[in-house]
Amino acid sequence: MPHDDHGHGHGHNPPAPMVDEISDFEALEIAVRELAIAKGLFTAEDHRKFTEFAEHIGPTPAARMVAKAWLDPEYKKLCLTDAIKASLAVGVNWLNPTGFGTPSDYTDLRVLEDTPTLHHVVVCTLCSCYPRPILGFQPEWYRTPNYRRRLVRWPRQVIAEFGLVLPPEVEIRVEDSNQKCRFIVMPMRPKGTEGWTEDQLTEIVTRDCLIGVALPRPGVTTNLKMPVHRAAKPAHH
Amino acid sequence: MSQHDRTHHAKIATGKGDPQCFKGTAGPPKFKVGERVRIRNLPDIFYTRCQVYTRGAIGEVAVVTHESPAPEDEAWGHVDKSEWFYIVRFRQKDLWPEYPDAFAKDTLQTEFSERWLEKV
Amino acid sequence: MAAPKLEAPLDDLIAAGAKWTPVPLLEEIKDHGRAWEDLAAQYGVTNPDPPWKTSLDGMCEALAAGSCSSVAAVEKEWLEGASDRAHLPGAPALPLLERRWEEDELSATLYQDVPFPERQLLALAHSLIKRGLIDERGLAQKVQEVRERLSAT
Repeated sequence: MPHDDHGHGHGHNPPAPMVDEISDFEALEIAVRELAIAKGLFTAEDHRKFTEFAEHIGPTPAARMVAKAWLDPEYKKLCLTDAIKASLAVGVNWLNPTGFGTPSDYTDLRVLEDTPTLHHVVVCTLCSCYPRPILGFQPEWYRTPNYRRRLVRWPRQVIAEFGLVLPPEVEIRVEDSNQKCRFIVMPMRPKGTEGWTEDQLTEIVTRDCLIGVALPRPGVTTNLKMPVHRAAKPAHH
Repeated sequence: MSQHDRTHHAKIATGKGDPQCFKGTAGPPKFKVGERVRIRNLPDIFYTRCQVYTRGAIGEVAVVTHESPAPEDEAWGHVDKSEWFYIVRFRQKDLWPEYPDAFAKDTLQTEFSERWLEKV
Repeated sequence: MAAPKLEAPLDDLIAAGAKWTPVPLLEEIKDHGRAWEDLAAQYGVTNPDPPWKTSLDGMCEALAAGSCSSVAAVEKEWLEGASDRAHLPGAPALPLLERRWEEDELSATLYQDVPFPERQLLALAHSLIKRGLIDERGLAQKVQEVRERLSAT
């Protein structure tokens, strides 16, 4: 309802734009859900619980974990020895929302520490295992067979597609996350961030950095928008 | 997997997490960090998380991670027998013969349950 | 039939190809539905995901819930073609790995030109219909009913 036409105080901003149209996909999502609940495939209560979980997760807690670790050697030690416990300091309890996690997320997080001679990059060749409680949902490219198959075999080629080229002196270590452990990469703190606050540092630890396909750089706070390629028929391993 | 198993799992894992809820159920681990191991080429079984590209390869134990039922058992709801899990580190050259010599330092790590590993 | 190698299921199953039969209702939505990226551009909305995305994720999770782990208790029956889950009391309705593998296959075949997450939604609906967990006619009616409900003023 328009309420600011006389300019009296509130409503200085125009309302945020909205999509004023019901798409077939939106109707399909609701229809599938309502039928599934009616058929007892899951309960409305379970759906609500997991949807709330989905609404709350994102990459910021993992970024903050790295930023905190850069600033606090004691906290860094905790991240490297008990990352599940260290997650609590950035507001993530891995036992949510059920008391023992979700069907997709086990509760064993490992932090992979980069050094001047070692760089980590994470993949799940099996499906798309990912530390969702602390890093949010997988980007689409991470879920594709194209990334999953090629990264284990041609890691330098794949990360180069993200703009990350590392010299041969740096060992690239691929972590294939195929069991109950989940992984994030702790990159090195970049030059040019001396004196920065935790908030400032958190901003440059992007999701891509935490997967290992990018390195943090002052001024870069967004992820690369990767085109998603279909999997060409790859060699059978 | 029966309803009972699921309820049982929720009960043992609540407040602890999974795999934490299996802690202390596998006995002593057979391998230690730094030890060289070969990935066994077990006969094709129905369900596994052991990737084909590692079969027969030799690597080194990087981390002894946790105890848990192996997925080959857990998939069928058998959670009464646990195993130790290990993150094993391979040289990429040992996995992919065509991996470029210039990047001979590159490695790959992935995780296995104990049944997949044998001493070299 | 020979059991496909589960460590690399895509190669075998995509090669099988013909396994995926188009579902008319979903083809219709695929061809005529407007994806979020178009709608967002038209209406000047910057949210990268449609509002129903988290509900879709919640649904996938709820379907996998109840399993002891994310692995499937019922994959064997499914792969052997006995997809009747009525005999498997307590099994999750749609285990995580099965859904993901089918989504991978469908994304590379029937729904390859559909953007994400619309593709994920079509794949999920397809997996449920294929298993007889929901039926196409009932779903078509429900879609129609939902559309009327949402357009009511």
